[in-house]
Amino acid sequence: MAKKVKSKGIAMDASEKFVTGFAYVLMTIFALIAILPCLHVASKSISGGTYVASGSVWFWPRGFQLETMEYILFETQFFQALKNSLIVTSVGTLISVIVSITTAYPLSKPSFKGRKVVTLLYVFSMVFFGGIVPAYMVVQMLGILDTYAAMILPFAIVQFNMFIIKNYFEGLPETVEESARIDGAGDFTVLTRIVIPMSTPVIATVTLLYAINYWNNYFHAMMYVQSTSMKTLQVYLYDLINSGSSFLENLASGGYTGEGVHTGLSVNITAEGITASAVTLSIIPIVLLYPLVQRFLIKGITIGSVKG
Amino acid sequence: MKKALALFLCLVMILSMAACGSKTTTETKPESKPEATQAPASGDKADEKPAANVPELKGPGNVTLKRLGYNTAFDPNDNIGADIIEQSTGYKVEYYMLPSENANEKLIMDISGGADYDAINISMNQFRQLVSQGALTPLDDLLDVYGQDILNSGHSPEVWDALRGDDGHIYAVPYMYPASHEIANFFTVRTDLTKAAGIEKMPTTIDEFYDMLVTLKNYYGDQYIICAGPFYQASEANEAWAVPKTITSAFGIYADWMVVDGKVIHMSEHENFPALLDFMAKLQSEGLIDPDWAVNNETTLKEKFSAGKVIVCAANRALGDYAVPALMENHGVTWDDLDYITALQGSDGTCKYMETTAFNFVTAIPKSSQNAADVVNWWNQRIRDELFITIGEEGVHFNYDDQGGIDPINPIFADERGSSYWYLDVTSAAYGSDLWPSRVRKSAGQWHAFSAVTMNPAPYIEFTTNEFKFKPATENFSTYNTTLFNDTMDFLKQVMAGTRTSADIERLHSDLVVAGLDDVRAELQAYYDAK
Repeated sequence: MAKKVKSKGIAMDASEKFVTGFAYVLMTIFALIAILPCLHVASKSISGGTYVASGSVWFWPRGFQLETMEYILFETQFFQALKNSLIVTSVGTLISVIVSITTAYPLSKPSFKGRKVVTLLYVFSMVFFGGIVPAYMVVQMLGILDTYAAMILPFAIVQFNMFIIKNYFEGLPETVEESARIDGAGDFTVLTRIVIPMSTPVIATVTLLYAINYWNNYFHAMMYVQSTSMKTLQVYLYDLINSGSSFLENLASGGYTGEGVHTGLSVNITAEGITASAVTLSIIPIVLLYPLVQRFLIKGITIGSVKG
Repeated sequence: MKKALALFLCLVMILSMAACGSKTTTETKPESKPEATQAPASGDKADEKPAANVPELKGPGNVTLKRLGYNTAFDPNDNIGADIIEQSTGYKVEYYMLPSENANEKLIMDISGGADYDAINISMNQFRQLVSQGALTPLDDLLDVYGQDILNSGHSPEVWDALRGDDGHIYAVPYMYPASHEIANFFTVRTDLTKAAGIEKMPTTIDEFYDMLVTLKNYYGDQYIICAGPFYQASEANEAWAVPKTITSAFGIYADWMVVDGKVIHMSEHENFPALLDFMAKLQSEGLIDPDWAVNNETTLKEKFSAGKVIVCAANRALGDYAVPALMENHGVTWDDLDYITALQGSDGTCKYMETTAFNFVTAIPKSSQNAADVVNWWNQRIRDELFITIGEEGVHFNYDDQGGIDPINPIFADERGSSYWYLDVTSAAYGSDLWPSRVRKSAGQWHAFSAVTMNPAPYIEFTTNEFKFKPATENFSTYNTTLFNDTMDFLKQVMAGTRTSADIERLHSDLVVAGLDDVRAELQAYYDAK
């Protein structure tokens, strides 16, 4: 008989203990795989330039300095890009959620005439994308190139998210709506007073999916923006990583003169350090936000897939 | 219902195709717009005398120009470089940047969509594409009236010819690569270590170079990486050579395509290519070069050098910016402990190194611009004030040294003229020889190497003209040449790794032929014969 061991209130036999221990080790390894690269980048962002240049920074800063961070924050467009990303994400998410709900609601009603055709149009455009050139031409002809609208309106509705809401709406009990209608409520009142309050889980999940979509959008934001002051954080970050090295080589006074005296840019500011600092700074908003919203993310996209 | 659905889908498909088809119409839209310049129409009328009725200047203060450039990390609108140009010319300018990735797609879409840029600073390939689409303004008449200083800035007729379209008109102004005789690849050597091993003099021949590595290996064993590389040169296309040109020079190989006795040959067909392979294989088999040579990149090489692990390191100027200062900080090395190996000679005295006469960028005016005259006037004023705009004021930003060279005063030079390179639209011929070296000189690390190998070039180096420096983009070359180059470099790395030998060269050739070698050669030969 297997030897019983005592845990906090629950006895575990040896095999259970082994499995539990193995799971802990495995999870720890996975956690380290996820966190060590982040730690490496964060360490480089605040390490001395000579240590960064010689590749001797691993998971702990060496030669602590904040000059690179200062440079990113005050000498580049970091704050402007952050502001743009926050505006696009907040306004875009609000618009998208409103548009998705108001689209999903009628489509969830079997009595809505032309429901199948309209649904088919959404499915078709979900499967077939017209391509970036026609999309660009539409944005350009609307006269919204280089504006926040160009980064929001083309993504005002993501069909997949809309269908998640629609499926959820279809699962709500019809009797509740009917009783409201008997009391004299119209469509708008039913939607805002009855349906939406009953659908907060799916709306929270879809809101999060939209927010992530807007926050991470790089390609279209890059294509539809012309002014440097309109770059979002992702575009800014990508450009900084790609162009930072050559920029520094041209700008730098080398950090040293023949006599070993520092001139111009600090030797602490290196291309690798700039990349690491920009990446570290840019993930801070997400890192701060994530603990607050992760439970919605875990509920995930399965929430609307099963009718209740 | 099914029939209705099928009909609907067909309709959608037809509409989609129609929408895609309309792209052509839109892309050619700029051609249908009235030309701002009122210059002679392109095509058959190119031989006619240029009309003098170019548009009148609106003048500084009456127009805001929009200038598009390549991507950079700083905001060009919020940089002192913009203020200096405005101070010098009086023109107010808004600056825009292409993205760092997908720049071509973005440029084509912007220009096709009629974006209202007045000047676009673009690569030669982008220029050729836009010229072929008829999206640019011919500049001949405008330059005659408003750009005399540009026309008289010392560029050869060959340069201007490269900026003409098929109709004979000039469509851009040149921003040339400034150092035609730069030794852009060399070896940086730690002489504190070589002297300890008894080596007093830097090698000048390939045999001396080999002897040096052997001496170092015998003295240090595996304590150091004797020789590490490659260090890629980023200034021109196809410069990611697996073997530094410092070495290939000794074998007479200076470019991927060369002309020998009037015939265009690929580097793999050069008579000394097998000898080059054998030499690199020998270095590898004897442990004289970094075993990671094939997988090294610029970052890993800089890390190895600045960590003090390498004695002889393949380099370009950029190594001096951060890797050398880091080496000094970490290991107490001084400038006196560094020396350089320039292009090496072969046993027969051969030392061929390619001239880097090329366009860095060119700047053109889209047809949609309504301010073409002011753009040319703006360029012209900047050429007149080139010294002040790009380098600064004597006594404030620089002093002249005894030889007449420009010696920058730091940190004000780096602070106030450090980013002026980004704003360059057109350079004079003298810019490269007189002004640009000071931009290298502002960095002690870059200047130490540059002055050693480029300012005082070894007398035996034979700078060889790249016959294809101004070749317009052609279909086969554009399609196949990158693959040909990469396949050849991969083969070199495989030889160095010991998985191939020079006996496999026939197989390389047959692979290259399949990859388009003969098609590219035919195009290059036709271009060379027509010159």
